[in-house]
Amino acid sequence: MVPLAIARQTVREALRRRVMWIFLICGVFLIALGPVFGFLSPKDSQTVLRSLGLAAILLAGLFITIVTCIYLIPVEIERRTIYTILSKPVQRFEFVLGKFLGGFAVVFINIAAMGVVFLMMIRFQEGKVPVDMFKGVYLTFFQMLLLAALTIFFSTFATPVLNFFMSFGIFIVGNLGSVTDSLTTSRNGTARLAGTIIHYLLPNFSNFNIQNTLIHPAQEITNPDVFIRQNILYALIYSAVLLILAVIIFDRREV
Amino acid sequence: MAAAISIQGLTKKYVDVWQKQEVIAVNNLNLEVEEGEIFGFLGRNGAGKTTTIKMLLGLIFPTAGDATLLGKPMGDNSVKNELAYLPEETYFYDSMTGWDILDYYARLFKIPEPERSRRVQICLEKVRLQPDAWKRNIRGYSKGMRQRTGIAQALINDPKLLFLDEPTSGLDPIAHAELRDIVASLKDEGKTVFLSSHQLADVELICSRVAIIHRGKLLKQGTIKELVAGDFAELVVQRRGLSDATLGKIKEIAPGTEPGSAENMRISVAEVEKINAIIDIVRGGGGSIISVVPHKRTLEDVFVETVRKEDGS
Repeated sequence: MVPLAIARQTVREALRRRVMWIFLICGVFLIALGPVFGFLSPKDSQTVLRSLGLAAILLAGLFITIVTCIYLIPVEIERRTIYTILSKPVQRFEFVLGKFLGGFAVVFINIAAMGVVFLMMIRFQEGKVPVDMFKGVYLTFFQMLLLAALTIFFSTFATPVLNFFMSFGIFIVGNLGSVTDSLTTSRNGTARLAGTIIHYLLPNFSNFNIQNTLIHPAQEITNPDVFIRQNILYALIYSAVLLILAVIIFDRREV
Repeated sequence: MAAAISIQGLTKKYVDVWQKQEVIAVNNLNLEVEEGEIFGFLGRNGAGKTTTIKMLLGLIFPTAGDATLLGKPMGDNSVKNELAYLPEETYFYDSMTGWDILDYYARLFKIPEPERSRRVQICLEKVRLQPDAWKRNIRGYSKGMRQRTGIAQALINDPKLLFLDEPTSGLDPIAHAELRDIVASLKDEGKTVFLSSHQLADVELICSRVAIIHRGKLLKQGTIKELVAGDFAELVVQRRGLSDATLGKIKEIAPGTEPGSAENMRISVAEVEKINAIIDIVRGGGGSIISVVPHKRTLEDVFVETVRKEDGS
């Protein structure tokens, strides 16, 4: 299958990038530091480890996703390797899909690696791994899936620098779901319109942040399984739409 | 013989939005390349050669016109199974070995194992890349080795039609000759080669037909024999002692005669009768013939003449 061949090559190339390893090492290092910080605050050691670990996975995952995915398509055009690829029986959608799958696989490997270290640290400190912690890791993973699709979408027409700021900016705004939600009921017409557009059009990254409920057992989500399933479905559908748009744009792009 | 490439009115215009200028990279190009021939596509840098190839391969889109490759519309994905392209500069993933690169491209053609490994080996042997380099990182390859790998990747699908953009540029003489011979051997295998090159001596040696393109416009096309027809001789005549009347007679026979220096004049004529007549006039007028040198027109002569004529210089 052509997209898988392209994805395989993409993973090989991406794993060579030192910057990705730096973020991964930083993430693992922060997670590993969890028990140390826990000793400094014995009463909250469980909370410190959990919040630090999940935050490290999110932050490292965010930077790994962006620095990996912003270059995937532009670098092929810049180095002109795309000439030899698209002159072969490779459809443009297969190329975009292959790049996305490759980038996503890299993100998966990194989040899985950090997730394993995180869960090992919890096992080390608490003697068991609560099932809820897995939810925290894999929701971050789906959050990054959505971000990867967004970054790939921008990379079909924007430069890597512009893509970095757009993807990063949308991730920040998308994490301010409660703010944009409150704007939709604003009395100011312009603010209400802007809030409505931002809230419903931009990807809602904040829905994936369940760290607080995982860290503080007192906070609960009503019907958590439905909530998680809905968010996973949201990430899959939104990513699919972004990829379709990316293919439509790339199909018309001269290389 | 059927046409491997048939181009009708192919045009590519670029619009500079800021300067409100229109640049015509390829202008109403009409061309036919027959199956089984090596076709030379000549032009200066920026003449529109690579733009034409990129349009034919579907990498960029024409403003107007159409083309068929092996009987199918350009850009058709199914025809790409029979095509190959070697870009002007061969860019590879530096982390890969020569073998890995060919394996990757073979995967894009969905060639299964063990056929894939067999094809990779055949292609690397065909381009004479030393076996000890096959599994070495391409970062350490010389320009010649990279170019050999580039040609090998173009052969991975055993294509019927190859687009080669400057396959021998920047190579040392030995590598140059070897790669030229490899390209020439493709014709014996029944493949059609569309060769864009500045190496006019190579083109003259291996191509059956050529086209000259300049500023996007097709200026000339034909067989090498047709284009280089018109051998001539250059006579160097001692000017001293020749009367104006004698000089006038010479100029009547050879109007393009160069004045040359005060001592000698150079006369270029094509026909044997004219050469003899000039020799008779010079000797009759008391002058001397210093030399008569026969000149064979080369493709380079034709190319330079054609382009300069178009430029009006």
